[in-house]
Amino acid sequence: MNEILPTDRARLSRRRFIQGGALAGFSVFLAACGRAGTSAAPSAAPSTAPSTAPSASVAPSASVAPTPKPSMATELHWANWTYYMDVDDAGKFPTLEQFKAKYGTTVNYQEVIDDNDTFVGKIKPQLEAGQPTSWDIITVTDWMAARLIRLGWVEQMDLGNLPNVVANLQDVYRNVTWDPTNDHHVPWQSGMTGLGYDQKKTGDLKSLNALFDLKYKGSIDYLTEMRDTIGLTMLKLGLDPSKATTADCDAAVAEIKRVQDAGMNAVFKGNAYAEDLKSGDAILSMAWSGDMVQALIDKPTLRFTIADEGGLLWTDNCLIPNGAANPYTAQVMIDYCYDPKIAAQIEAYVNYICPVKGAAEVLLADNPETAKNPLIFPPPEILARLHIFNGLDEATEKYFNDKFATVTGLG
Amino acid sequence: MGSFLRRHKRIVPYLLLAPGLLWLLLFYVVPAFQMFLTSLWSGTLETGYEFSLSNVSNYTEALTRFWPQFSRSLIYGAAATLLTFAISYPLAYTIAFRGGRYKNLLLFLVVAPFFTSFLLRTISWKIILGDTGIVLGPLKEIGLLPAEFQLLATPIAVVAGITYNFLPFMTLPIYVSLEKIDKRLVEAAEDLFATSIGAFRRITFPLSLPGVFAGSLLTFIPAMGDYINAELLGNPQTTMIGNVIQNQFLTQNNYPTASALSFILMAGILVAVAVYARLLGTEELTAGGV
Repeated sequence: MNEILPTDRARLSRRRFIQGGALAGFSVFLAACGRAGTSAAPSAAPSTAPSTAPSASVAPSASVAPTPKPSMATELHWANWTYYMDVDDAGKFPTLEQFKAKYGTTVNYQEVIDDNDTFVGKIKPQLEAGQPTSWDIITVTDWMAARLIRLGWVEQMDLGNLPNVVANLQDVYRNVTWDPTNDHHVPWQSGMTGLGYDQKKTGDLKSLNALFDLKYKGSIDYLTEMRDTIGLTMLKLGLDPSKATTADCDAAVAEIKRVQDAGMNAVFKGNAYAEDLKSGDAILSMAWSGDMVQALIDKPTLRFTIADEGGLLWTDNCLIPNGAANPYTAQVMIDYCYDPKIAAQIEAYVNYICPVKGAAEVLLADNPETAKNPLIFPPPEILARLHIFNGLDEATEKYFNDKFATVTGLG
Repeated sequence: MGSFLRRHKRIVPYLLLAPGLLWLLLFYVVPAFQMFLTSLWSGTLETGYEFSLSNVSNYTEALTRFWPQFSRSLIYGAAATLLTFAISYPLAYTIAFRGGRYKNLLLFLVVAPFFTSFLLRTISWKIILGDTGIVLGPLKEIGLLPAEFQLLATPIAVVAGITYNFLPFMTLPIYVSLEKIDKRLVEAAEDLFATSIGAFRRITFPLSLPGVFAGSLLTFIPAMGDYINAELLGNPQTTMIGNVIQNQFLTQNNYPTASALSFILMAGILVAVAVYARLLGTEELTAGGV
């Protein structure tokens, strides 16, 4: 029903993807040794802080006035993940070039993030010490965004500077528990976590029960990302990941343990699950929509489905870190990308889900394959089945991680 | 300068050692000390960390909680070391004594895989051992193996991966020690009516022990700390202590526990090596009083 089939090969093959996520592990160790943070973390308000008044969560920040309204800066520094911005054949970023033509700001756009923990590990010492990180915009995943906001390391934005965001942000992204005032983060791109499988081997699948079906033992991959694996398991059990409690976590872990003890021999993978699906080492996996756009092209018998029980929606978000030199220009930049025309231009290159209303309509005219690709513009009936994982405070997050580690062999 | 050195001859060795010592100091001693302090922290990323000697309980807790992974690392490391020895010794022996003019080529072939990255070599094992890969695929096709048989995601795959990856570390030292054996000693033994097996047992093998010793240390120590093979070729039941340390450091942000685990691993390896040196060590290596 919800099956997503490969579309236009020629055009999509232009999109390139890193599939060797495992590589991250290497560079990562150095970063970890870099700084562990000395004893003085800022006196962050207790972990429940971001739920109240807008200003409450920026407690330790030195800058009281969120956005001085100066003129545009001549330079802006943006840290992002790879393949998250449209590129032309000359290696330039058309969107950023157009921004420069309009506002005169040169964007120093660096694709330096390939792992939340590693990247944040690098700027953490400055954030802790209340010094500038040298970035005006950083792009991190929900849970990391929640953590940074909770720690008071993120500048509050002025919604008056963000008219396009206010008007065009898809509703599903509004009022998340970790930023109820919607002014500390702006979604950049999203992905879905669902069911990836080889239709030739399994037939059509519609239920997450398949992931726990011993019929497929030895051929199933789960994800190393705790929120994805625990989240899908909760959905399988009829629990809501957007309200995940420790009891729900226990139930999900028990379910995974049950099939493990019964001899499932599922392995936990990062991006490498897509390789396993292609090679046949897995015929069924928890999967991310962005990877699957490419995988479906490489192996046409693969399918990606948001099961009847639902799927997960996760988002990488633009944040302005404390001490950013050009917070106003940063907001103008972010808002610029929320112009549906610009968003459509970016989306024609990026494989992930666009959070901007109106972009699909713009694309429909000159790039209908992308506009109709349900992995990039999921139709409302799929969006309705997606859940954003609950924002966890530090203690709860540790509880979840420790529990999850007992099934991944790391606890 | 020259005359200065001539007048203070005793300084020369220290000058020669200086770059190495400085390197060790900066990139080993200082970080190790910092890591030691970290291992005695308590607290979290968000509340901040506090140092206290009473946090020595970090060590006992880490050891009890992660004992399964520790013992698994020890077993896999030892198994891989034995396997590399069993494969390397005949290999090195053949190259050293029968290699003839192909010696250099054969040695090159031993080292050749090292021109590819460690990660790629391990990933290629995934392809080789895959459920429908080039080994199992055909065997399943003709019905010699049941369809659900798998090598990937089993301890066998992990140990095989480690063995393969560290093979040259064992082969090369053994080769070097065999190569420098004076062939006339073996001839003399045979002249004195030793069988060829006897000559090997009493002459060749004992003389090659320094190579065996060095090779097994070079294999065992990194094998025990390895986590790439377990991550790529294993399953949740084959995780090694390296996987846990990586997870604690990077995913859980639990720096104290990760540091304590690293020190326990280091201490464990030191003890294992000391015992090994006492039992099997050759004189020239134990002379320093290991």
